[in-house]
Amino acid sequence: MSLLLQLLVNGLLLGGSYAIISIGLTLIFGVVRIVNFAHGEFLMVGMYVVWLCAQHLGLHPYASIPIVVLILFGLGALMQRNIIQPLLSADGHIQIFATVGVSTALLNLALILFGADIRKVDASFGTQPFSIGGITFVSGQLITFVVAIVVATALHLFLRHTYTGRAFRALAQNRVAAALMGVNVNAMYVLAFGMGTALVGLAAALMTVQYPAFPTVGSYFVLTAFVIVVLGGMGSLPGAVIGAMFIGLIDSFAGYYVGPDLKEVVYFLVFLSILSIRPTGLFGLGQGSE
Amino acid sequence: MIKSLKHITAVVGLAVTMSVTTVHAQEIKIGALFPLSGGLALLGDESLRGVQLAVEERNAAGGINGQKIVIVKADAVDANQAVGEARRLTSGDSVAAIFGSYASGIAVAATQVTELAGVPYFELGAVADTVTGRGLKYVFRSNSTAKNFADRSIESLTQVVAPALKVDPKTLKIAIIYEDGPYGTLVGGFQKDEAKRLGLNVVESQSYSAKTVDLSSLILRVKSAGADIVLHTAYQNDAVLFFRQAAAASYKPRAVIGAGGGYSLNDTAQAVGAPMEGVFDVDFPQITMNEAGAQGLKEFVASYQKHFNMPPRSGHSLVNYVGAKAFLDILAKAKSTDKDKIRETVLAYKQPAGSSAAGWGFQFGENGQNQMATTNLMQWQHGKLVTVYPASVATAKPILSN
Repeated sequence: MSLLLQLLVNGLLLGGSYAIISIGLTLIFGVVRIVNFAHGEFLMVGMYVVWLCAQHLGLHPYASIPIVVLILFGLGALMQRNIIQPLLSADGHIQIFATVGVSTALLNLALILFGADIRKVDASFGTQPFSIGGITFVSGQLITFVVAIVVATALHLFLRHTYTGRAFRALAQNRVAAALMGVNVNAMYVLAFGMGTALVGLAAALMTVQYPAFPTVGSYFVLTAFVIVVLGGMGSLPGAVIGAMFIGLIDSFAGYYVGPDLKEVVYFLVFLSILSIRPTGLFGLGQGSE
Repeated sequence: MIKSLKHITAVVGLAVTMSVTTVHAQEIKIGALFPLSGGLALLGDESLRGVQLAVEERNAAGGINGQKIVIVKADAVDANQAVGEARRLTSGDSVAAIFGSYASGIAVAATQVTELAGVPYFELGAVADTVTGRGLKYVFRSNSTAKNFADRSIESLTQVVAPALKVDPKTLKIAIIYEDGPYGTLVGGFQKDEAKRLGLNVVESQSYSAKTVDLSSLILRVKSAGADIVLHTAYQNDAVLFFRQAAAASYKPRAVIGAGGGYSLNDTAQAVGAPMEGVFDVDFPQITMNEAGAQGLKEFVASYQKHFNMPPRSGHSLVNYVGAKAFLDILAKAKSTDKDKIRETVLAYKQPAGSSAAGWGFQFGENGQNQMATTNLMQWQHGKLVTVYPASVATAKPILSN
């Protein structure tokens, strides 16, 4: 019984990490309608920013959250303004290639600047495990989990109840119609993209406690994040969170009962069968919402 | 006017041709094909540094029969690029030989091209047995293979760890875990075979993707199987992840014997912290081994420090240096860049054990593999990686708490 509980806890906590990374991705997809392949590299950039803050300012990763969130917001806004915006009316695949290009450029820039060595932040708070009734928790993972839930809820409320949120949703439904209703399309896109990357900055600060920073760290997480976003329904926040928990649980249970080498096979099988029943994902809105 | 212009052109043209031919006579081009960007860049670069040091040393001593060696760098991050870069080196740059390549996937792909082009390929660091196991005539390898890694790790278990724990190796419960790429699968596979041959008790054997971000279920499995000894073949991030999550799951095996890659790096030890203390590691010879069994080691370390302003980051530079040095020696002895002449010289080349800075001797089999390349058992003691086995190069005794 305690083994089952431990697997459950491990799965949910891992899901928390996946969730915090997926929220930004699904926001960008949902509003700007761009599949951002550079998402993982933004995570990597964020992790390096956190590492630099720790090295030079002596900040704990959690204390560097405001800095990294601001920097990542700026980077995202810059990318939307200068790379995506000129391509807005181009074909979807051209936009995808542009994001792939940014991803490759950032990856190699990191290699030039930092080399391929792994950079770890020494944080005592967040790495300590503690146990309740024989079940072990890692404090940093628990914090990530809670933050992911809080942020997803806050963002959900923001999208429902503020003018900007409504503008975001209008843009998601129909860009042209939204523009006709007086929504400043370009400004909103810059804001949404910036928010998406700012969220991945937040994720970076939380993850740096658990994982070291290195140039390819983004690729470790981003494929799973894409699976989660598609599984949950692209653009759906609750979908991203529930999808992340779902994948985390499969990862944990399949890793134990089926085998660690086959856990990806299991979750891709589940992923494919869900998509064959619900092509728009668990919380997708149906046809047209992709 | 026109006539004199023609005259000038002819003279200039002649001068250019002459200078080009003279340059050719004094230089010999050697390709260096390594992953210098992308995920493998760290150890790819470390390997290249070894080649650079060997070449500089040889050039300072007069090059190859009076010809200055020029390295033509090629960056191959994966098998695809390896093919492209090998083509460029063999056709465009017309190198006399190629040195490579750190990763087995890259070596296998590049050698397909060089064999057809008739350019000798000298492998200095990739460990997959297949690199020299495919009947290619002009592929030679100086370093030890995955089988050496696996056999040495099992030997360490029966000869070093079990005696120190004062138990019969057959009573120990062993878990063999490995990343599921070609490297881990090869080493893990050979470990399983060898353990079976010796009748050891393997309670769990599992592979996982090196790109995983969670090993908690694997650790729970190994822990519930009650494994005393963990044999782990890993890269860097998964090694770090294993220790971090094992600590979280309060799993502490009696000994962990890592194989290669991540387990030897200072970076890994720093990232893991205290749990790294006492961990064993089977790998290429490292710079910390006993000088007595590795002639020229001190000079290598001094030269590395001088060139790169830091101590070597891993043993990769050392083994690449040793291999490159031997192959440059062979090229000089062959007195020709003819591939068959080079093959003949390689097969005739013999150096006794302990004669190189890695402690290796040289004697090549028909398949081009150096049969005197070995791996050593090391242990992290007080934050340093020390060599504990075999005795000829050991600098410390293994420490095991019962």
